[in-house]
Amino acid sequence: MAIEKNYGNPQLEEKLRDRYFYTDDSNPEFLANVEKIGRTIAHMCFQCGTCTGSCPSAPRSSYRIRLFVRRAVLGLEDEALTDPDLWLCTTCYSCTDRCPRDIAPTDIIMAMRNLAFKRDIVPRNFLKTAQLIYTTGHGVPNNDVNRAAREKLGLTRDPPTTHGYPEFIPGIQKILDYYKLKENADRILAEEGQ
Amino acid sequence: MSGNMHQYAFFLGCIAPNRYPGCEAAAIKTSQRVGIELLPLKGGSCCPAPGAFGSIDLNVWYAMAARNVVLAEQMNMDIALICNGCYKSIFEVNHILKHNDELRDGVNEVLKEIDMEYKGSIDVWHLAELYYDPAICGVDKIRASITRPLTGTKIAVHYGCHLMKPKKERHFGDTENPMWIEELVDALGAESVQYRNKMQCCGAGGGVRGYDLTHSLDITNEKMINLREVGADALTEVCPFCQLQYDRGQIEIKEKFGIDYGLPVLHYNELLGLAQGMSPQELALDLHAIDCKPFLEKIL
Repeated sequence: MAIEKNYGNPQLEEKLRDRYFYTDDSNPEFLANVEKIGRTIAHMCFQCGTCTGSCPSAPRSSYRIRLFVRRAVLGLEDEALTDPDLWLCTTCYSCTDRCPRDIAPTDIIMAMRNLAFKRDIVPRNFLKTAQLIYTTGHGVPNNDVNRAAREKLGLTRDPPTTHGYPEFIPGIQKILDYYKLKENADRILAEEGQ
Repeated sequence: MSGNMHQYAFFLGCIAPNRYPGCEAAAIKTSQRVGIELLPLKGGSCCPAPGAFGSIDLNVWYAMAARNVVLAEQMNMDIALICNGCYKSIFEVNHILKHNDELRDGVNEVLKEIDMEYKGSIDVWHLAELYYDPAICGVDKIRASITRPLTGTKIAVHYGCHLMKPKKERHFGDTENPMWIEELVDALGAESVQYRNKMQCCGAGGGVRGYDLTHSLDITNEKMINLREVGADALTEVCPFCQLQYDRGQIEIKEKFGIDYGLPVLHYNELLGLAQGMSPQELALDLHAIDCKPFLEKIL
């Protein structure tokens, strides 16, 4: 007698269950979130490893982009977001250009970093850049040595950016406040005692 | 368009105006001699840094980059810029928002708070691609603008990542072994040289330079080894952030790894400026961490 497709046989279902890949801390929504934020098709990955082979960070660290893509597919959210290697991607997009499945592994990393930030997991240098942009509009602001050099070149001491036109800064602050970026950056750095 | 000049809103970003002002001055002056006029994009901000901002919250990145695009839309002008990081933010966000209504609506909701609206009415270009584009400038026009050929110099090219990759959101074609910047270098009378793993990253991007400097410099060091192997007199790039990583990075490599390369690193605009007869002072080459003298002695 043929067994129905939904089996209805607890013993057989137990036998067929993919125990190797099933873990209790797998979050099925993780893959969907990563794909939405990263605008890419992580589930198409067949683990060929072209990405890790193309990666300039791989030979000098334990960072493996292929592992992160697998974690996305398996929903291993905690494991992915708490791994410090997540921040070793230089976003060079070599893996993205070479992926035979047309996935953007780099954007998977970016999406995971976005999700990590929601848990306050973020390197402090990222937050300091955000704070600088909030106050000056620039991630790398001007300084006096540079102002003198600019003057010698016949340029204005401050470039015609938000430096030269600080009236544009409140608009930038409104954008950052809309996403509570400054608030969160200040809070996370304060908690770390920075 | 005034006369025969192609006009663009010149988006500066951070590192060019605030660390290597020679790049900014060179871009304005060299482009003028080949029929391109760069007008100041008043009130532009950080692009914002794709590594830092994109990693924290892509929505902030879209909105902040869109604000810069809107400033150019208000001038009714395409944007030209000289930094690959800025290109990643400004070009790519413009491209994404043009094709994604959901993200565009989200961005416009934020921009409404500051009385702005993203329309998607302009395009974004890297000045280097405008130099290469025969419809705007072209290699021949570059060659014709030269008064002091860089004869006898061997120059290696670093393309940088965010100008050409990911290729499906760009229009440059091959990203494994492109040769168009070499053509621009050869037009200056210099000899462009090939080296191993030319398209490898400089190591600075994605926030890695700030997160793990040693790791970042180790990537740079690999590039430096490959560059030393072919005996280049100088390295040229089209990205002030790559320039910072190679230029100041060599000092840091010396401190951390004890290797001294002393390879001058020049932005293509600085190189073009030299070839058009500008003096090292006009290009503020003294602000470079690595002394450019060995290279300058060959051409001056």
